[in-house]
Formats: sequence, structure tokens, C-alpha cells
Amino acid sequence: MSEFLAYGFAQRALATGVLLGLSCAVLAFFVVLRRMAFIGVGISHAALGGVAIGVVLGVSPLLAAMAFSVGVAWVIGWISGRGEISEDTTIGVFFPTAMALGVALISLSPTYRQDLVGYLFGNILSVRAVDVWILAGLATVSLGILAAFFKEFLFLGVDEEAARAAGVPVEPLRYLLLTVLAVTIVASIKLVGIVLVSAFLVVPAATGQAVAASMRGMLAVAIGCALASVAGGLWLSWLWDLPSGASIVLLSAALFFAAVVAGRIRRR
Amino acid sequence: MTAVRVEDVWFTYEHEPVLRGASFEVAPGSFTALIGPNGAGKSTLLRILLGLLKPERGRVEIFGSPPGGHRSRAAGGSHPIGYVAQRVRLPSGFPISVAEVALMGRYGRLGLFHAPGALDRARAADALARVGMAEHARRRFSDLSGGQQQRVLIARALAGEPRLLLLDEPTAGLDPAARARFYALVCDLQHAQGLTVLCASHDVEVVSEHVDRLVLLDREVRAAGAPREVLASSALAQAYTFPAPHDHGADGA
Repeated sequence: MSEFLAYGFAQRALATGVLLGLSCAVLAFFVVLRRMAFIGVGISHAALGGVAIGVVLGVSPLLAAMAFSVGVAWVIGWISGRGEISEDTTIGVFFPTAMALGVALISLSPTYRQDLVGYLFGNILSVRAVDVWILAGLATVSLGILAAFFKEFLFLGVDEEAARAAGVPVEPLRYLLLTVLAVTIVASIKLVGIVLVSAFLVVPAATGQAVAASMRGMLAVAIGCALASVAGGLWLSWLWDLPSGASIVLLSAALFFAAVVAGRIRRR
Repeated sequence: MTAVRVEDVWFTYEHEPVLRGASFEVAPGSFTALIGPNGAGKSTLLRILLGLLKPERGRVEIFGSPPGGHRSRAAGGSHPIGYVAQRVRLPSGFPISVAEVALMGRYGRLGLFHAPGALDRARAADALARVGMAEHARRRFSDLSGGQQQRVLIARALAGEPRLLLLDEPTAGLDPAARARFYALVCDLQHAQGLTVLCASHDVEVVSEHVDRLVLLDREVRAAGAPREVLASSALAQAYTFPAPHDHGADGA
């Protein structure tokens, strides 16, 4: 591990991974509570459409993906909030549509296809120093929002109707959480890729839920699991020449299964 | 002063009338049940009282003020309404404790950017004690039975120190014994603390044993009065013999 960390790219990858792992773990707590896992899948895959729009327009693909994903998240939230079409149906429409848009636009730009694998499966080892600062800023803002509105997001997750009746501004907070989710997903694309980021938004919290007896414990285990997955996954990725996203998510899943077994043994 | 005044309230959802000139009053310190068939407009009316929906016509007052004013801290920070709806369904095994659920009753009072303090925790603990759930405070909420969970939700509402408790089908999914225990608890709280309680319910027989007054709603108020009078009225039989069409998304009842 120390040999791996002697490289500059490894230090940048680890710094980025730690920041995003922290954001994803705290966000995953609310994703699990509000059963938003499928929204995560929808937004992350919609990001491909945003990447493609960025390519076509000649602007930063990640910035375009961020704007596009936030827009998709808001539209999903708006349509499902009206109650006429269920949330999973809405996502089921937007997820393939946005992804198909991405594939169609990228196919018009043959020179860009080689970078597609990086977006789909992540390539955190290519992170530049400036990216670390940008992602650090995004992670700080996301964590700040989640901390500032923790009790309100918790109330919404447990009982949205009662929160509304108590005077909690439910609608603005729903859109704020969707925005944080979309921004964190796009920021995590370099870490684990479009295909795998949704897993990173669920597995750490699910691991915490499997073993922890309290919410604080669940959050602590989720953060520990995310950080261990990032550090261990990056090292394994370097050691065995694997895509960083795949090794991080596989390690994260291994921790989850270990936690499920440990939780069952403890409850016996 | 009347606790709740509903005067000629009309509400339409997608061109279908949900409420047609509903009028009734609830006296302070009384326990009133709002009964009626599916789609009668019970939940819609409760949401109007909470200030979540606006009536097209008519007037609604809670302790002399329009609904919704309590939801703004700028309005003086008072929060006279506690609300309990149907059962909360958390992800299986989610480790939120009973004490943490009860504490949420303080969040509306606290407002944004204010963390709960010692006083808030004390109020939540006191509310749990009042519903007989103090010894379960550290247990997971999802590990409780349906009846126990509803007691905790009552405690959550009480933690906000309300003057009026609005209950929307709070016993849905509970067995008959748990329903009877639940209404007995609400009745005890009403007498012990002078709470005004308005409860939308399908449990006509069970709830009638505990309330001071029944209001039979079937888009408009068909009958109101002492339980014995309303249960004996022909309006009750008519309302339940010819159920209203389904009551749309605005009404969960």
C-alpha cells in the first residue's frame, strides 16, 4: 500500500475517493431511508445523456452531466410528487430515454467513444490536481447541506405527511435532496463510473443497517465501509490492474455480505 | 372560543366535488369523530384544517385563526395542532429508535437550523411516558407492534405540545383489540390534559364508545351530535348503503 501511495496519481485518487466516499455514505443513509435507490440508478444513467450533450456542445462533459442530471432529478421529483404517475414508472421512462440519448449522441462523435468506458466504469487514477479541489468543494457543500438539514431530511424520510403538517418545508427540501443526490452522483462518476455509482449510494448504508443498532452506528459503519472500500478498492485496482469503480464496488459488496453474516450471528 | 369551526366549506378535485358546503364545530376539550364512507371527504377536510389544502369556498378556523398560521414560526412559534396519520412504514430493520421518532414532534417548533436540546428531549420523553411507551424508548421503532407504533406516533404529536390533535384513520391495519386500546388511550389523554381531539375514522362502532360527538360526513355533513343520536339516524344507514364514488388523490380516506 505504501508503495502505491508514493505515486502522485494514487494520492490524488485517494483524496478524491475519501471525499466522495464520505458524501456518498451520508447520502446513502437517506437513500436507504427514503427508498431512493432506483432514483440513484435513474439519475446516474441519465448522466450519460448529459455527458453526450456536453460533447456535442463542446462544453465540459461533467458540467453538462451535472446540469442535465439535476434537471432529470427535478422532473422525476415533480412528476412523481403530483401522484399521477408513480416514481418508479417515471424513473423507468427517464432512465432509458436519457441513456439512449447519450448513446445516440456519442455515436455521432466517433472520436469520443474511447472515453466512454471511463465514464461508464470510472477511472479515478486519471484525476488531476484541479479535479481534487473541485470535488473537495462539491463534497464539502453536499456534506454541509446534509448536516444542516439532517433532522428535516430524517423527518421527511420517516413520515413526509406528518413533516408537512408540522410545517417542515417539504417540497423545497425534497428538491434540495434530489439536487444533492444528482450532484454527488455526477461528481462520483470519475470514482466508480455511471454504471456502478448507484451501488455506492446504497451499499455502505445497507452495510451499516445490517450491523448497527442505532442511527449513529449505521452512519458510522456506512462511512467506515465507504472509506475502506475506496482505499482498499483503489489499492486492489492498482495491484491487479482492475477498473477502479469495479474493485471499489466489489469490495464494498464484500463488506456488506460480511456485515449481513455478522449481524445474523450477533442476533442469535 | 370554538376549537374548530368549519363553515360552508367546498372543495373540488378535478371537477369532482369532494366537499359540498360542509359545516360543523368542535368544542374545546372534546373528542369528536369524523365518520363516513370511503370518499366522503374526511381526509380532505383534515388536510384543509392542517392548511395543506385551500377550500374553494367557506371558512375554517382553528382556535379563532385560519389554518396554516401555526406552521409559521413567524406567526409566534405556537403550534396548536398535533397530527397522526395512518401507520408509518419504514424500511425493514431501519435502526431509528422510539425516542428519536417521538423527538420529531419538536421539529416543527424548532424550525430550520435549530438542533433539539435538553428541553426538547425531556418533552419527547414525557410524551412517551404519557402514552405508556417510556420503557420502550431505546427500542427500534420498526420492532414494535402496530398498536405500539401508533402510541409512539401519538407521543410524537404530543411532544409538540398541541391543543388540538387531528387523527386520520389512525387505527388502519390494527386488530380490534388494539383499536379499542388506542381509542381508550386517546380518550384518557383528552380528559387528563384537556386536549381537543378530532379523529377521522372508519371504526364507527369502536370509536363511538369513546367520543363525545360524531360528525357524519358524506361530502356534506349528514348528521352531527351525540353518538347515540347519530348512530340511530337514518342518515348513517343512507351514507353507508350508497357509498360515494372513490375520493381521488386529494383524499387518502
